[in-house]
Amino acid sequence: MKHLRRVLLRLYLLFADSKVEAELAREIGAHLVLLEDEYLRQGMTPEDARRAARLAYGGVEQAKQRHRDERTFQGLSQIPQDVRYTLRQLRNSPGFTVTAILVLALGIGATTAIFSIVEGVLLRPLPFPDPDRLVILGDVREGSHCASCTHSSVTAPDIRNYMRDTESFSHLGGYRQRLFELSGAGEPAAVNATRMSGEVFAALGVPPVLGRKFTQQDDEEGQQVAVLSYGMWRSRFHGDANVLGSKILLYRKPYTVIGVMPRNFEFPLNPGNVNQSELWLPLSLQPEEFTAGSAASGNSRMVGRLKPGITAERAQSDAERVAQETMRDYPAYMRSLRIHAVATPLQEDTVGQARPLVRTLLLAVIVVLLIACANLAGLLLVRAIRRRREIAVRLALGARTATLLRHAIVDSMVLSIAGGAIGLALAALALRVGVSLLPQTLPRVNEIGLDWPVMLFALGLALLTGFLCGLAPAFAAIRTSVNESLKEGGRTGTSGSGHARLRSALVVAEIAVALTLLTASGLLLRSFEKMRDVKLGFRPDNTLAALYVLPQQRYATQSAIDEFTRTLLNDVGHLPGVDAIGITSFLPAAGNNWGIGFTIEGYVSPKGAGLNMAAMSLVESDPFEALGIRVLRGRVFTESDNAGSQLVAIVNRKMAERHWPGQDPIGKRLRRGMPETSTPWMTVVGEVDDVTLESRDAETMPQVYQPVTQTVASEGVFASPGELSAADGWIVLRSRMAPEGMQGTLRATVRKIDPQLPLYQMQTMEHAISKSEAPRRFNTVLISSFAIAAVLLSVLGIYAVIAFSVALREQEMAVRMALGGQRSEVILLILSSGAKLAAVGCGLGLLGAVAASRLLRSFLFEVSPFDPGVLSLSAIAMLLLALAASALPARRASSTDPMLALRGE
Amino acid sequence: MSNKEKESIQLLQGTLDLIVLRTLATMGAQHAYQIATRLQQISDRLLNLNQGTLYPALVRLEQYEWIKGTWGRTESNREAKYYEITKAGQKALKEETQGWRRMSALVERVLLEES
Repeated sequence: MKHLRRVLLRLYLLFADSKVEAELAREIGAHLVLLEDEYLRQGMTPEDARRAARLAYGGVEQAKQRHRDERTFQGLSQIPQDVRYTLRQLRNSPGFTVTAILVLALGIGATTAIFSIVEGVLLRPLPFPDPDRLVILGDVREGSHCASCTHSSVTAPDIRNYMRDTESFSHLGGYRQRLFELSGAGEPAAVNATRMSGEVFAALGVPPVLGRKFTQQDDEEGQQVAVLSYGMWRSRFHGDANVLGSKILLYRKPYTVIGVMPRNFEFPLNPGNVNQSELWLPLSLQPEEFTAGSAASGNSRMVGRLKPGITAERAQSDAERVAQETMRDYPAYMRSLRIHAVATPLQEDTVGQARPLVRTLLLAVIVVLLIACANLAGLLLVRAIRRRREIAVRLALGARTATLLRHAIVDSMVLSIAGGAIGLALAALALRVGVSLLPQTLPRVNEIGLDWPVMLFALGLALLTGFLCGLAPAFAAIRTSVNESLKEGGRTGTSGSGHARLRSALVVAEIAVALTLLTASGLLLRSFEKMRDVKLGFRPDNTLAALYVLPQQRYATQSAIDEFTRTLLNDVGHLPGVDAIGITSFLPAAGNNWGIGFTIEGYVSPKGAGLNMAAMSLVESDPFEALGIRVLRGRVFTESDNAGSQLVAIVNRKMAERHWPGQDPIGKRLRRGMPETSTPWMTVVGEVDDVTLESRDAETMPQVYQPVTQTVASEGVFASPGELSAADGWIVLRSRMAPEGMQGTLRATVRKIDPQLPLYQMQTMEHAISKSEAPRRFNTVLISSFAIAAVLLSVLGIYAVIAFSVALREQEMAVRMALGGQRSEVILLILSSGAKLAAVGCGLGLLGAVAASRLLRSFLFEVSPFDPGVLSLSAIAMLLLALAASALPARRASSTDPMLALRGE
Repeated sequence: MSNKEKESIQLLQGTLDLIVLRTLATMGAQHAYQIATRLQQISDRLLNLNQGTLYPALVRLEQYEWIKGTWGRTESNREAKYYEITKAGQKALKEETQGWRRMSALVERVLLEES
């Protein structure tokens, strides 16, 4: 306490010192008078008494100084003066100042922008109370290798069992997100809605801004209620507080609005910012969701809040017990399915996948910042060497080394704080433009922004850079030898060589890190190129796609659905310009595929391989023609492949090669489910090309196509009673004209058939591909631009060092020329000194690239992190750039006037 | 500054505060000259100090609010700044004295064992 007060007082006195100073002078004066009085009394003459008093008191100025040191922070009080001095100097060399500040602003700005992503996505706690108590609970199925299965999932019976039988959660509930057709409030539209147990709201613990949330009781009673998101409430209901109690239609069933969630409430926490849930509805599991196929499809997830004192591990073993019971209750046809319960902290589940990308970006940008720092340090060092005589004079006049150090640090701090301020503005700009360009694989993008932690980070970064950059010149300053510097007189000679090693080391480091980044960018570019080379398996040109979902309310029977589909295919197929049309349950390159297990006749899967998963698509009419998927063998489906005829399937090349290597797949048989499941056989009638399902750099999956009309028949015991098929699908059409032009026509045609039916996610296939490439494009572009910045900075660095050494050796060059040295020799001399630095830097940089390979590997696609082409090309490019940077000063050196040698002194 | 004086100051660094507090506690309000005189008396001129050396200690104690300075008049009607010990100062003196005793006893013991 007393210390704190004293620190504050001492800080305060930095600014309000004059009164204390006057009082001190008065006190010392009084003290001296008293001493004098005493000596006078002892019989001294007034003059002697004065002298004696001064002697007894000691040095007045020293006492004052010690008093000042004690009452305030003396070093600090000099800083405003230092800053003024620095500013004066900076004004004198605007070129240097602008360069230094810009280099720093770019470095700090880029780092701050990337850090704001790190902070928003990875560091900030999730927007729920006690977020670290929230876990995702789900099953992992043994042997499922599909890309979309990396996240755990649960089935309807799982939700019931876990909610009923686990003991580790204070609240636990299931949820699933789906598209819903919304009408009854403005234009009919597709909205993202999440069906969830009442317990999920309880677990998340966020209160609504308006009305109430639904409870578990609402859920179990099957209440048709809806809670709106803030955004939905503002955009569709104009923020009207009377919205409570009003009705909306979801798939034409009425729901009552009972509440509105706050602006920052987001659940589930999906990657990207276009798939956010806009509505929440009670899960209210229906009886048919517990039967047959639906009961086996893991299309939901669960979230729970741990009871106090329970860890995620304990909850997992608790849930594993329940999972074991669940398996014991499996019907005979699911006997071989093995599941494991997994409890993952919600935070990890949300951001885990984004972590490598974000970390790599941060590392890359820090490398750029380091290079910027090294550059600035180099510039400051050069300036310090130029000012060596000034420093020597100051030292000779009694400046303390501490003062010189402080000065050098203040010098670079002023620059870095200015750079930091501009950098922050740049970061704000970059974020405003950049957030929309972030890949849709990044979660929590709405939380990215310049908030206090980010601002503090930028400020801290500026101070740290300032300090680090100031070290080099500070070091140079205190090593200045007064005698040497003053003796040298006007001749600059080659005496700068004392710090030449330091400068060279800075440049070598710059080149090394720049090369590391350059190879990383080269590898990523190469991966991008390789990805572009991967065959899509379909022709994306002139193809338009759109999703429709028929509401059960209106299309309650199979015949109603079939009627719709027939009319749709007929009406759209006869539109002018339409070449081919088809309907498919999945869209290539859109990542919305799902895999199911198959049993293949005569094929025994290797032990431990688990299920034979394949991506399943249900098709109608001719999507192969519409999407341009090549038929390799056999035939496509025809009208005669219908519910009553023999069950047929088409497989892709990958599926054929895996199960019937070297054989003709036509005529082979396969069926849905596991060996013990009784499902009917389907006969393969065709083989088609492998189609890109998610993105080109993802692994190709085995694929199976089936006529949608045969779905129910092929499901055997999996089919639920009264199951309807073909109630949704992607319309794909190939046109003779630009597909964008077809959008309005397609919409109008569908509206004529059902005026209330919206079309979702209408897009050209080229757009779908571009979207699937976005994540890779994003990190490639970003890392490459960092690499370009790094290379430019390091080239600037090498230029500065060579140019400076040439300037220092002007005299020497003149002497060489005067003695008959050839221009070419001089050029060679300078170039080789640049090349030496570059060579050492490149050597180290290649080592750096090897060190970075482990981090980079996960982002590469069919390129080794040690790709010799990329490594050697980057190194050669770096060397050439370094040589080019030294060429300019070399030319200048070679044109030195020999007369200088004589005129110099 | 002579080396001898430097030594003295170093010696005093931890104890000067204590001595000043003690002086003020026993003798009442004193000005700097009086304190310095008193210091010379009790140290038996063992400590060869300039009187100005006292000032940093005074400002430190004042910033701790252990002593409080007010301007007054001496008997010879000269102006002087009188320092007075505060309540917090009394308390601090007690604590510092105890601390000092413990410390010196400890040092004493160590020295005894080693000789």
